[in-house]
Amino acid sequence: MSSSESKLPQNGGQRREQFTRLMRHSIERLMNGGDESGELDFGIGAMLALLAIPGAFASVAASQSDEYFFIVLAMVATGAVAIWKWDALMPDRRDYVNLAPLPIPGKHILYANLAALLLVAAALGFDVNAASSVLFPLIAVSSHSSFGYLALFFVTHLFSVFLASMFSFFIVLAILGLMMVVLPYRLFRRCSIYVRCGMVAVLMVMISTSFEMSEIIQHPSLGSRQLVQLLPPVWFWGLCEHLRGLTDPVFGTLAETAIVACVASLALAIAASAFGFRRSFGKNSESIANFAAIGSVIRHKSQHRTRDLFLRTPFERGCFTFALKTLFRSENHMLIIGGFAGVGIVLASESLFQSATAGSANRWPSAALLSIPLIVLYMLLIGLRFSFEIPVTQKGNWIFRLANPDASECVGLARKIMLTFLIPPLFAITLPAYSFVWGWRVGMIHTAVIATVSMLLIEFLLVCFRKIPFTCSAPHFKSNAPVAVFYYLLGFIVFTNLVPIIERRASGDPLWYLGFILALTGIWLGLKLYRREMTRFDNQLIFEERSDIGDVNIQVLNLSWGARETEEILRSGQRDGY
Amino acid sequence: MVLLEARNIVKCYTAVPAVNGVTFSVGPGEVLGCVGPNGSGKSTIVRMLTGLIQPTSGAVLSGGADIRKNLVGYREQLGYVPEEPDLYPFLSGWEYLELVGTLRGLPRAPLAKKIGAMLELFSLSAAKYVAIGTYSKGMRQRILLIAALLHDPTLLIFDEPLSGLDVTSALIVKNLIKSLGERGKAVFYCSHVLEVVEKVCTRVMIIRKGEVLAYAASAEIQERAGQSSLEKSFVHLVEERDAARTAQDIISVMRAA
Repeated sequence: MSSSESKLPQNGGQRREQFTRLMRHSIERLMNGGDESGELDFGIGAMLALLAIPGAFASVAASQSDEYFFIVLAMVATGAVAIWKWDALMPDRRDYVNLAPLPIPGKHILYANLAALLLVAAALGFDVNAASSVLFPLIAVSSHSSFGYLALFFVTHLFSVFLASMFSFFIVLAILGLMMVVLPYRLFRRCSIYVRCGMVAVLMVMISTSFEMSEIIQHPSLGSRQLVQLLPPVWFWGLCEHLRGLTDPVFGTLAETAIVACVASLALAIAASAFGFRRSFGKNSESIANFAAIGSVIRHKSQHRTRDLFLRTPFERGCFTFALKTLFRSENHMLIIGGFAGVGIVLASESLFQSATAGSANRWPSAALLSIPLIVLYMLLIGLRFSFEIPVTQKGNWIFRLANPDASECVGLARKIMLTFLIPPLFAITLPAYSFVWGWRVGMIHTAVIATVSMLLIEFLLVCFRKIPFTCSAPHFKSNAPVAVFYYLLGFIVFTNLVPIIERRASGDPLWYLGFILALTGIWLGLKLYRREMTRFDNQLIFEERSDIGDVNIQVLNLSWGARETEEILRSGQRDGY
Repeated sequence: MVLLEARNIVKCYTAVPAVNGVTFSVGPGEVLGCVGPNGSGKSTIVRMLTGLIQPTSGAVLSGGADIRKNLVGYREQLGYVPEEPDLYPFLSGWEYLELVGTLRGLPRAPLAKKIGAMLELFSLSAAKYVAIGTYSKGMRQRILLIAALLHDPTLLIFDEPLSGLDVTSALIVKNLIKSLGERGKAVFYCSHVLEVVEKVCTRVMIIRKGEVLAYAASAEIQERAGQSSLEKSFVHLVEERDAARTAQDIISVMRAA
């Protein structure tokens, strides 16, 4: 024992080095994730670059009244990162296995993690807001203000959005810590996904209503609107206005609330994560993370018969069950689909709101009202298609490789998964809702139209699909990604604007339906022919995504990589003729 | 001096104890083998020995003192290879070892030399800058072995260290464990590979359902059980089923329509 005691860090320098290394490790863990499954995992460089983009773009077309929007953007971007990295915010089982046997007091691990979180929060706050803090003042006020006012505008904007970012990050951390303190480990794991989805929904509602809120809060009667003053972004907006010298007492109150909220969220986050750490870290070794299966384990023969009607081959049955279990049990997949569906619901509710204010008492609903289910379903189907690309424990895909299916079987499987998500809302919500308001005829016609165009959309989405969902490595950043985004936006416009307009027109002239059906049949046949040609050329399933030059770019952005790796990637890119 | 001692340790997760009244000790130069069937409580014992979990009753002592009293000091002299190589996939092998060495307070320059030499000896030099996420199970196991040896510990706890290793590496580790014992280190070695336990351990402890069935030198256990090898003694003491008969039953089920 005596010989080993000499190895203990003897001086402050060594202790500092130890602490710094622990802190660096916590930052790396936060930035790199810790998942071996190959699921979505951005490097630090790529992540910071992606986060900086929205602020920069939004600044280009901004005016002085958009301050509120930038505060919301800062809160949403930072909050979204904290929610995405939820599992990495606190030391987990792997940390326990690797760090607990080392001669480090548990409190050092906690302090290092807290220090790392503060640093990461500050870096995120700076990154998310840096571009907008420079561009927004330049574009919004430089043409008609003195340099002094420009400087004041810049400083107050940066201070407000930075504090808003911090508040958002610490609130997420506080919620995580409180859940760890209050809930038993298993219940905490189970509830996490729902809490995260809820927070994503709140962030999306915040961003989608920010433009309307910008107008509401500019109104002179803000002081009398108590409910509006309860919104956190309004506090930080008030702080910004107060710092710019506006004398309205309501700004003073809001500024005070913003500062108090920020300090309180920081204190709560630190306290909750410290107690959460004490409660869960030591027990990690004793907690067995085998979560009970979601849903009932009782299966009736009738269920099997129904399933067998829908799924013809053993391959389809096996993979379908695997896919559904993945979608309902994998947090990443649930978050992706929840995010897409949430955006759809927000956009659809805007459409509903507009229609309601415009007034629509016709015997046939307006195009905006007809578009509501189309918007939600478009986002849901796109989200599903996107989630198919994200693998779950990619190393386990050998079992699917051995099954040796062909590409057409996989398209059929993916189609059936998408239909499983399409049919229930269509017949359980759309048909009764439209039938109740506008009668059975309208309800059935509209449901039939949505079903038809949705199935055509599914065919479009699966036209080049040669994978078993969730089994192929995550796609690399492709050089054609912007083109794909353009096509998705175009698809959204056609699906949610053009289709309802045609349907509305067809309500007055049934000949339009004939033309519509003929057009859809033509598109469907074209797609079928195209896929046949594709599969004749290459019918092999894909289990490993190949990278292109885009991959090189995104890896180079990853600052955590060493210079050696970067050079090797660039060399290999040059070898490959890029 | 006894470097590691378990005194009547009990661990209960449920009403049925996972470990029930286990007592043993390991002194310098001793290699104590711990064998038992799956679920017999080996890994629970190891976790209690490393201080990762606390015994429900009883105590783990080092140098006569409860390890809980100075856990950090105890872990200073401890080298531990866990059963599962659950490493950080985003770190390279070198980075992981550098992390462990730094956290153990080893000076930077000698640490780098040591890591380099160890990686070379464990045939991991070529992969030292590659992310652990891409390593095979054997490579991860070798990283864990290096991490346990870096600080020249006086007490080593190995939980299935040969898991996933190729023949050459397994041979090296086998000889290494023996040599560590010969050089005065205290080694607690948990394994399913009875042949290795028989060869490298000075004493063997056989456990079943959390209780010690035998605790003596391998030859003594064989003699008491009236068997010619440790494997036969183990089967005689532990197994309630006839292995050959079970194998035949499995084939019958395979053939069944």
